[in-house]
Amino acid sequence: MARRYDSRTTIFSPEGRLYQVEYAMEAISHAGTVIGVLSKDGIVLAAERQATSNLLEQSVDNEKIYEMNENVVAGVAGHAADANILINQSRIVAQRYLLKYDSPIPVEQLVRNLCDLKQGYTQHGGLRPFGVAFLCAGWDSALGFQLYQSDPAGNYSSWKATCIGENNNNAQSILKQEYKDDDKEESGPNVKSVGSQMTMDDALKLTCQVLSKTIDTAKLSSEKLEFATLTLKSGKPCIHVYTSSEIDEVLKTYESVIKPADNQ
Amino acid sequence: MSIMQYNGSAIVAMAGKGCVAIAADKRLGQRALTVDTEFQKVFPITDRTYIGLPGLATDVKTLYDRFRMRVNLYKHNEERTIEPKTFSHLVSHMLYERRFGPYFVEPVVAGLDKNDEPYICGMDLIGCINFAKDFIVGGTASDNLYGMCESLWEPELGPEDLFETISQALLNAVDRDALSGWGAVVHIITPEGVITRDLKGRMD
Amino acid sequence: MDAQFAISGRDFVISVTDKGVARSIVKMKHNEDKTWQLSSHTLMSVSGEAGDTANFSEYIQGNVRLYSMRNSQDLSPSELANFIRGELAAALRSRSPSQVNLLVAGYDKGKDEAALYWIDYLSAMAKVPFAAHGYCGYFLYSVMDREYTPEITLEEAKALIKKCFEVLKTRFIVDFANYTIKVVDRNGTHEIRQDEL
Repeated sequence: MARRYDSRTTIFSPEGRLYQVEYAMEAISHAGTVIGVLSKDGIVLAAERQATSNLLEQSVDNEKIYEMNENVVAGVAGHAADANILINQSRIVAQRYLLKYDSPIPVEQLVRNLCDLKQGYTQHGGLRPFGVAFLCAGWDSALGFQLYQSDPAGNYSSWKATCIGENNNNAQSILKQEYKDDDKEESGPNVKSVGSQMTMDDALKLTCQVLSKTIDTAKLSSEKLEFATLTLKSGKPCIHVYTSSEIDEVLKTYESVIKPADNQ
Repeated sequence: MSIMQYNGSAIVAMAGKGCVAIAADKRLGQRALTVDTEFQKVFPITDRTYIGLPGLATDVKTLYDRFRMRVNLYKHNEERTIEPKTFSHLVSHMLYERRFGPYFVEPVVAGLDKNDEPYICGMDLIGCINFAKDFIVGGTASDNLYGMCESLWEPELGPEDLFETISQALLNAVDRDALSGWGAVVHIITPEGVITRDLKGRMD
Repeated sequence: MDAQFAISGRDFVISVTDKGVARSIVKMKHNEDKTWQLSSHTLMSVSGEAGDTANFSEYIQGNVRLYSMRNSQDLSPSELANFIRGELAAALRSRSPSQVNLLVAGYDKGKDEAALYWIDYLSAMAKVPFAAHGYCGYFLYSVMDREYTPEITLEEAKALIKKCFEVLKTRFIVDFANYTIKVVDRNGTHEIRQDEL
């Protein structure tokens, strides 16, 4: 029955579903995991590389984590080619905002722009949706540190910690358990996101812990991973994309939480 | 009074030994009236490349904003910072795009390339690059600056000597130009970093 | 022939414009407000070509409101000034340039400081401690240069403005009868009557 309604993006099924969009999300659930964790001093993004081979020139290649702007860094899960289009578009959007207002684009506006573009491909044009989900980590002076997740449908939501890609359900439940949250929750449009009682250290530790449980390989190594953090340096956002040796160091620092394969 | 002289400016760049310097006055005027005495005309493009924009103030800002955008996108795509020579060609291209309705600025580019070699060049308002090994001048005080630089400049000046030379060249040139002055900003670009100094001259 | 000037201290900006509208030899109006409230903490005073003033200002005001509604936050004075300058610059080399001179006065709540931007009809922009547009500048810049310090208080600024009025009254050919005086500070914008100065 579904077959009749799934080949065009621009029609609903009788049950009210957009099959192409759902199939796009299915594509993402087979892609390399990306995890994001918000802390009060910054955000950690970590991703698993899928294409590893000795012959690949990995050291000069970013596959999962990309800088969008001086204040936003994004992790990508899904089709790399689709992602490249969206990343280029977002970079141009961010620069246009800078040109217009002489100020870095607020994170939510960048994400919203990205999502509006994705939504267009689910409604008109007859083209397939983008098979990409993003985790955008950013900082702006109005709302502080923020972490947004966006999907091929063009929905976005703000998270304290989340995961996209393969094994994301698994990762999500671990994050939910381990994330140290505030007892009192404040909400409202002008409240800066707090990221509660997590420090950067806690966030890195939690990220390593989750990575070790969701990634298939026997041992975590810098070959298979990409890491980035977003923090504030003298009041300005600073994005640090880790080199392989820096990743090795992080893994070493938190090896207590990384369960070795035989202890499963 | 031509449109290039409406706001008034004086920019000079000099090459030294393993360093470059670029300096500008700070006056923004409307013909004879002075409106601002802290107007920025020299802008950092990367840590090692600066551009000075003498000419119509509105185009100074418009162009700088556009350059910044293009250089940021270059950095994202190329994953490296732009070289001064490449940047000059970008500027030239952007100016020539407006060949029949040009921006009224005559840029001066100064920087160190990836081998720490000095690079300076100037351009006319439609982007014709004028590459020099010694100095480049621009603005309403350019004639005065040509005279000053020709007499004061010598090759292989170190950062401190270059600073003295460029400062004297600029300050004395703007003193004889009604449309520029009100102090100066000097940037010395070396492989170790940029030293920026503010000068107080005749405040008129 | 409009009077348009402004003075900013650390945490306030006072904007002054005259209230007259004249066409040829006739004084058409005596109570025109030449300022436009862009947001709660930013004010723009406008002078220039008849019609362009209102047209450009309404366009800017509408866009600023749209931004606030779309993004649940206001633009800061520096972002606003840049936006305005960009729009004016784009219009400059188009079929329909706007011949308007602007002073954007605002209070930046994020940085907790006041800001004043001078933007001329060619969209040259400068962030300045005090500014004037038009013939006023020739008379008032000297007065302001003499009396102004960065630590100026609101009371001192008001006294300075009174001096400015005297200079204009004594030496300027046009007799400006009434002025709109508005103050932008941490609490927003409020108007001062001329007799309250």
